[in-house]
Amino acid sequence: MNGWRLELRQAPALRVDLRGVTLTALAALSSAQVGQLRVGHGNTTVPLAEFFRVGPGPDDTLHFAGDLARFDRVGWQMSAGRIVVDGSAGHYAGGCMSGGELRIGADAGLLAACEMSGGSLRIGGDVGDFAAGTLPGSMDGMRGGTLVVAGRAGARLGDRMRRGSVVVFGDAGDFVASRMVAGTIAIGGTAGAHVGYGMRRGSVVLASSAPEPPSTFVPAIAPANVFWQLLARDLARHGGVFADLPARRIERHLGDLSAGGKGELVLVS
Amino acid sequence: MSAALMRNGVVVDDSFAEAFPMKATRIVITAHDLGWARHAAVAATGFATSVIACGCEAGIERELGPDETPDGRPGLSVLVFSMSGKELAKQIERRVGQCVLTCPTTAVFAGIAEGEAVALGRNLRFFGDGWQTSKVIGGVRYWRVPVMDGEFVAQETTAVVKGVGGGNLLLLARDLDAALAAAVAAVAAMKRLPNVIMPFPGGVVRSGSKVGSKYATLGASTNDAFCPSLYGLVGRSELTAETRCVLEIVIDGLTEADVAAAMRVGMEAGIAIGAPRGLLRISAGNYGGKLGPFHFHLHKLLERGGS
Repeated sequence: MNGWRLELRQAPALRVDLRGVTLTALAALSSAQVGQLRVGHGNTTVPLAEFFRVGPGPDDTLHFAGDLARFDRVGWQMSAGRIVVDGSAGHYAGGCMSGGELRIGADAGLLAACEMSGGSLRIGGDVGDFAAGTLPGSMDGMRGGTLVVAGRAGARLGDRMRRGSVVVFGDAGDFVASRMVAGTIAIGGTAGAHVGYGMRRGSVVLASSAPEPPSTFVPAIAPANVFWQLLARDLARHGGVFADLPARRIERHLGDLSAGGKGELVLVS
Repeated sequence: MSAALMRNGVVVDDSFAEAFPMKATRIVITAHDLGWARHAAVAATGFATSVIACGCEAGIERELGPDETPDGRPGLSVLVFSMSGKELAKQIERRVGQCVLTCPTTAVFAGIAEGEAVALGRNLRFFGDGWQTSKVIGGVRYWRVPVMDGEFVAQETTAVVKGVGGGNLLLLARDLDAALAAAVAAVAAMKRLPNVIMPFPGGVVRSGSKVGSKYATLGASTNDAFCPSLYGLVGRSELTAETRCVLEIVIDGLTEADVAAAMRVGMEAGIAIGAPRGLLRISAGNYGGKLGPFHFHLHKLLERGGS
């Protein structure tokens, strides 16, 4: 697998759809062929070279140099390899990805990691609403892999999430883990209103804030030290506010009782 | 029998132990303290001396400190061996279900990562009657089963690998005290090594067996050639009039090299006891090379440090 460096010429007038531009798809192409690859631009398609200067990269990485805030579906359905974006990315970043690594240096738009099933997505800045959630109309959100957000997350983080791990170092918006089916969400900052709204199973860890649990959650009176040590040690490898989790005490609340009550809010004290 | 080797007055036979392939796994049992982990491990490895009638051979491999276990609690690693992966899976489920799940504060984890996966907590989870939940952490699935002291956590699967069973030493001594002293010293030396267990009580067997019996229904019977009580009675006794007690140590290991290393340190411990303290001879059990593909030659083990 060869590496590629795609240097942004200038920000496009309309939004660009980068689906299909993955390391796997480019593996057998020459530089000219990569430049002729057509991508969606508004209601038409144009060659990739319209937006990027295409050249070989030093390693097995697809490297986007520039701010891709108007480029949607970066890493869409990627299954292997490594994609790096220096700046921001648009909507659906890492959507439906099943493997490989996607790193976004700054912010990502809406629906990042939606229906992601494997691999790793790291966002250096903030992420918009519905991260790790579902595509509109779909039943299951993120179902595997790891999403790490260095900044803040928008509303409805992990909506209908079924599996996988989400780690947010900053604050998160309202309705974190809404309708969550399973998986793990860890928030380093504060969470907005209605955490765990309608969650069926899964764990939401609030590492540094302890909001009043919703009325549809009940306090857990039984210890869960083994589970906590397993989870805390795994989260601790992300560092920062999560680094000392194994040494900290927790309080758990079980719910959402309106959806079976097998989920849990883990409040770290 | 050809030329023997003499060390510290102990005759080491020019013979070999014959071992056979088994299926093996390691499980890690942790608990609130080492005492409860030991209760569970002892129970789970009980009645597991021989595959002949126990279904598996199992034993405690070693103690684990909090820094060596997945949940940061003290624990014990346990090795389980069986003749087939299917039987091993059955034994794991029964033993963990009845002896670890039931023991206060315990949790159970796989001790081997690579190999064919067999159920550890996968089926035990149904004890939760629908209240069990799974948790995938670091790519590993665990089951959390509600129990009366909180929750029982079990890794979903453990890995089965190929192992080696039936490594053995025969310690022929002047009397019972000398044989016991040599056997205890040898087992203590072997227990310091990883990847092996000595599944019999205290690591020692007094009822060494031969293949076959005068009774058609029995596949094995007493090893009359090494029974001092039959000296002078059986046609081909291996003993002399001075050899009045024989004990055997059986070794199961994850690899051929592990069994060889255990046999070597066991022999060295016996030799250190030596003839002055009553150990007269070291031999090994084999069946002429017909039972298994692993042959541990005693002289080679002592001289070259390998099988």
